[in-house]
Amino acid sequence: MDKRIIAIGLVLCLLIGGCATKPQDPDELKIYEQNNDPLEPMNRAIFGFNRGAYKYALNPAVKGYRAAVPDLLKTGIENFLNNLKQPIYFINATLQGDFKASGSIASRFALNSVFGVAGIFDLASREEIPVVKRDFGQTLAVWGIKNSGPYIMLPLIGPSTVRDGIGLAVDSFADPVDWILYNQGRWWAYGRTAANGFMTYENKHDLLEDMEKNSTDYYATMRSMYQQNRQKDVGELRGETVEVQAAYDFDFPDDDEEE
Amino acid sequence: MKKLFAFILGVLLWPMMAKAENPAIDFVNDLADKIINDVLTADVPRDEKLTRFRAEFTEALDLKNIGQFVLGIYWRKATPSEKEAFLQAFMDFTTKTWADRFDSYQGQKIVFSGVRNAERNQLYVDSTIQNNPPVEVIWRLKQKDGNYRIIDIIVEGVSMAMSYRNEYSAFLQTHGGSVRALTEELKSKSENFKWGESKK
Repeated sequence: MDKRIIAIGLVLCLLIGGCATKPQDPDELKIYEQNNDPLEPMNRAIFGFNRGAYKYALNPAVKGYRAAVPDLLKTGIENFLNNLKQPIYFINATLQGDFKASGSIASRFALNSVFGVAGIFDLASREEIPVVKRDFGQTLAVWGIKNSGPYIMLPLIGPSTVRDGIGLAVDSFADPVDWILYNQGRWWAYGRTAANGFMTYENKHDLLEDMEKNSTDYYATMRSMYQQNRQKDVGELRGETVEVQAAYDFDFPDDDEEE
Repeated sequence: MKKLFAFILGVLLWPMMAKAENPAIDFVNDLADKIINDVLTADVPRDEKLTRFRAEFTEALDLKNIGQFVLGIYWRKATPSEKEAFLQAFMDFTTKTWADRFDSYQGQKIVFSGVRNAERNQLYVDSTIQNNPPVEVIWRLKQKDGNYRIIDIIVEGVSMAMSYRNEYSAFLQTHGGSVRALTEELKSKSENFKWGESKK
């Protein structure tokens, strides 16, 4: 299955013709392989498009939203939207065989839905029920697909990988809340997707601005941070201790140290 | 009932726990205290804050080690004066970046949960910043002549050193591997630095 994921990456590469050329220099080749981004030219183009969309559409919307909506209401909206995500988290936690997590997601959902006025009030956090998020990309990883496949920049959605992109598609297809909404009329489902997307962006807005301001290569910084953070999330589920030390070595030859 | 028991246990054991703390934790804890008290919450102008912050940073970080790591393969190719200039610019810029980030500090507490030994003379101090949601921070320290120096800070799995390394590698790859170009870029970013408005 790992091989299949790599194959999908390669096929994408060939179809789109957005493959990067492998560097010849062995040191640079090492960096290239570590970046896990053979589609870099295409990804950077999509990233450019995303930046434009953020700048001209989403950022003004965030600004307006923040100015118009009081904090209390904002929290209520976020709680409401997050509560509706619990069923798909529950499904994934269960598929991952993590019944402790599914139990805590179920109690969070029940408590907030019933006593928190359809999830507007997050009583579960007050009761110290932890926030657990589980997606299908993680489920695939738990099922044995260790290799995430190449890094992919998705239009509007942002950084992902082949595996996690497939996970995202499966999640949005399998989400029971979406099915219910869809049966009420598809615009309800679209509206929820848009609201979720906007909320996610609004939450990340400050971080993204910071990243853009402070980086000499915004694209590369985002890629690195996304990959590291995701690796931690997935690694923890697979029961791997986060041996950061294994990933890189801070030891240098002495002659270099003492110059 | 469980909570009450844990609380009583905590009160009883508190003096013991405080004493049994590890010198590495003390080091990070003292540093955090100093930065919070002398910089973040101190009632002094920004320039003074920056000077103090820089002093703490210089003292606590193993700058050369970090510089070497973040430049990766390009460190070896740089001349001594290029290295010197890079470290200077890197320090100037990161001090500003982090001072700006810490501006939004709202009194969150940091709780230390343990120390793990890494290979050679290095260790990890595990901690959590009590935010909502909590943020996991791991401090990677290097021990040298009985002193500790920070060589990396890992926030939610994201290593700062690794992120800088990947960022600079990407920059250098598109700039013919010129450390001088990177240094100039950092200098110009530092000079044109726009302080963020303190977020609520």
